[in-house]
Amino acid sequence: MFACIHVPDARAAATAQPALLDFASAFSPRVEDTAMGTVVLDIAGLDRMFGSAAELGQRLQECASTLGTAIHVGIASNPDSAVCAARAWPGVTILERKTETARLKDLDIVFLPLDPETHATLSRWGIRTFGALAKLPAKELSVRLGQQSVHLHRLARGIASRPLRPRRETSHFEEVMELDDAITTLEPLTFILNRLCDVLFLRLRCRGLAALELRLKLKRERPHDPFVVPLRLPVPARNPRVITRLFMLSLEAKPPGAAVCEVRLEAIPSKPRVIQNGLFVPLAPEPEQLELTLARLAGIVGKGNVGSPEPANVYARDRFEVKHFGTDFGHIERQRHGALRIYRPALEATVRMVDSVPSWIGFSGMHGPIAVASGPWRSSGEWWNNRQWTHEEWDIAVGNALLRIYRDCRQSRWYAEGIYD
Amino acid sequence: MRAALLRAKLETALGERASSPFTDVEQRVWDCVPSGIPTLDVAIGGLPRGTIVEIFGAPSSGRTSLALTILSTLIQQGEVCALVDGTDAFDPESGAAAGMDMRRLLWVRCRNLDQVLRSADLLLQGGGFGAVAVDLSDLPQKALNGISLAVWFRFQRVLENTPTVLLLIGQEDVAKSAAAVVLRSNLRRATWNAPSETSGPAGPAQTSHGLLLNQTHLDVEVLRIRHSRRGSSRIHHDVRLYSCP
Repeated sequence: MFACIHVPDARAAATAQPALLDFASAFSPRVEDTAMGTVVLDIAGLDRMFGSAAELGQRLQECASTLGTAIHVGIASNPDSAVCAARAWPGVTILERKTETARLKDLDIVFLPLDPETHATLSRWGIRTFGALAKLPAKELSVRLGQQSVHLHRLARGIASRPLRPRRETSHFEEVMELDDAITTLEPLTFILNRLCDVLFLRLRCRGLAALELRLKLKRERPHDPFVVPLRLPVPARNPRVITRLFMLSLEAKPPGAAVCEVRLEAIPSKPRVIQNGLFVPLAPEPEQLELTLARLAGIVGKGNVGSPEPANVYARDRFEVKHFGTDFGHIERQRHGALRIYRPALEATVRMVDSVPSWIGFSGMHGPIAVASGPWRSSGEWWNNRQWTHEEWDIAVGNALLRIYRDCRQSRWYAEGIYD
Repeated sequence: MRAALLRAKLETALGERASSPFTDVEQRVWDCVPSGIPTLDVAIGGLPRGTIVEIFGAPSSGRTSLALTILSTLIQQGEVCALVDGTDAFDPESGAAAGMDMRRLLWVRCRNLDQVLRSADLLLQGGGFGAVAVDLSDLPQKALNGISLAVWFRFQRVLENTPTVLLLIGQEDVAKSAAAVVLRSNLRRATWNAPSETSGPAGPAQTSHGLLLNQTHLDVEVLRIRHSRRGSSRIHHDVRLYSCP
């Protein structure tokens, strides 16, 4: 048995074709790319997985209905009859074996693959339906219309037989939507992206895949070069909602800057992440949700202000990088130490010295005599570039506060660097 | 009899919104995590998950050290923590010295209270963190006092039935009754150079720059414990300052 999925809307058929092929691949490995908007798949032996032909047809239609356009499904004992049924009738049509001729007899011959000349000839003869064509003697028909008419005759009787031509698997996943009217705001783009993501991820799911990297290309009216938003994920994702939200957060941070007339979403597939959760494994954020939370946080506090701190491998104080927060964790030995709270940037201070030891300090929000001072601890570095520093550091007690201050020897100025807390 | 009837009526009225509203505190089983400070764990029985824990004190009172110790302990157990830094004051070197695997710490560097609250909300809603520390120190106290109590109760509601501990660090307690554990930290004294040569900040001036700032000795006062019937207590905690040998 064979099933045919057909999109009657010619305009939608062009964009729906890759999705149709992927949906069909989710049911059967033998899928034929018959024509634009028409896909045939071999469903022999699938009844144990998907039930009867009617149930399978229903599931095919449900799966393909996510495209948002009308879908016809035809099921028959040969590919061509299935195609004719799908093209002719809406919904799910099942032609039982040996009933094809009777079921197809009332169909108009426009559903046959006729060239204009043959169609005109048949019209002159008064042949309007499959049944009328099927009643003609095959031998005489071939004498008048040539060898191809034999095939047409068999098609009209629903007994045409040919092997399926399965297509080769491709790993190109792309969804495109051309817009009649260019959009200038981000809100309508959310709906378009939602739709494209839904279809793209359904296609990926049909093939048992997930997306590791995505590229959103927005064709702009002016300038004409596309606006590209890349999205690299730490783990393969399968949730279209998360991806839509991540793209929208990126676009909110950096809008396209012009009216958008075409949206193209491309995914680089990967095998989905398979994890075995353990009962005693410590909890950690769910990677997809974490990525979304990080993007939202970056929208609030800025991209460089969210992540994992990594102290730089230099002796200078307060040198670090904020790296992307991921799920690649390590292990280090535990120690117990106090904490220094940093004034970022360091606060300029006025310091009085007695016998080369700080005795009084005043800076933003704090001033008073220095009860205890420990120092100076001299440090310098990076004399080879413009970040050169030469410091004399002191730990001091002012009232109830324990502070770290330093004197910038190059500028002869004092700064409060932080407070022990 | 009337009390029992009233209780039954209230429980029916509350329905699913509050399960067992009159269950005794002692009968509830709290999942607690160790704070990393043995004396504190003995005093309060650990930090209950799904609650707000507040640590407050004056500058240099050791509140940040306590918070980093708790975060470090959770990270050492393999959990992932987040620090919402109200004034971008976190020193990564202090964190590393406290034994934190920085890859397990999500640091959110904020500039104002609005960013702090929104970031904390996102992290709590996202879930999956062992602890979310919100550092409110150095933010204007007037602005902190202006936060509606409903904000903290909403956070508490989000936290319920999750394994996350929300740590609030500040100069004064702000969450009030929304917090399950409230700790006040005080600097008892600082040790300069050697334990025998100590000089408290309030003591006589001793400007001998040959001394090393070595340790701080903290008093941690337990002001509220909701998850057990233990009373208020005070513990001592010594913190070695990482900059000194």
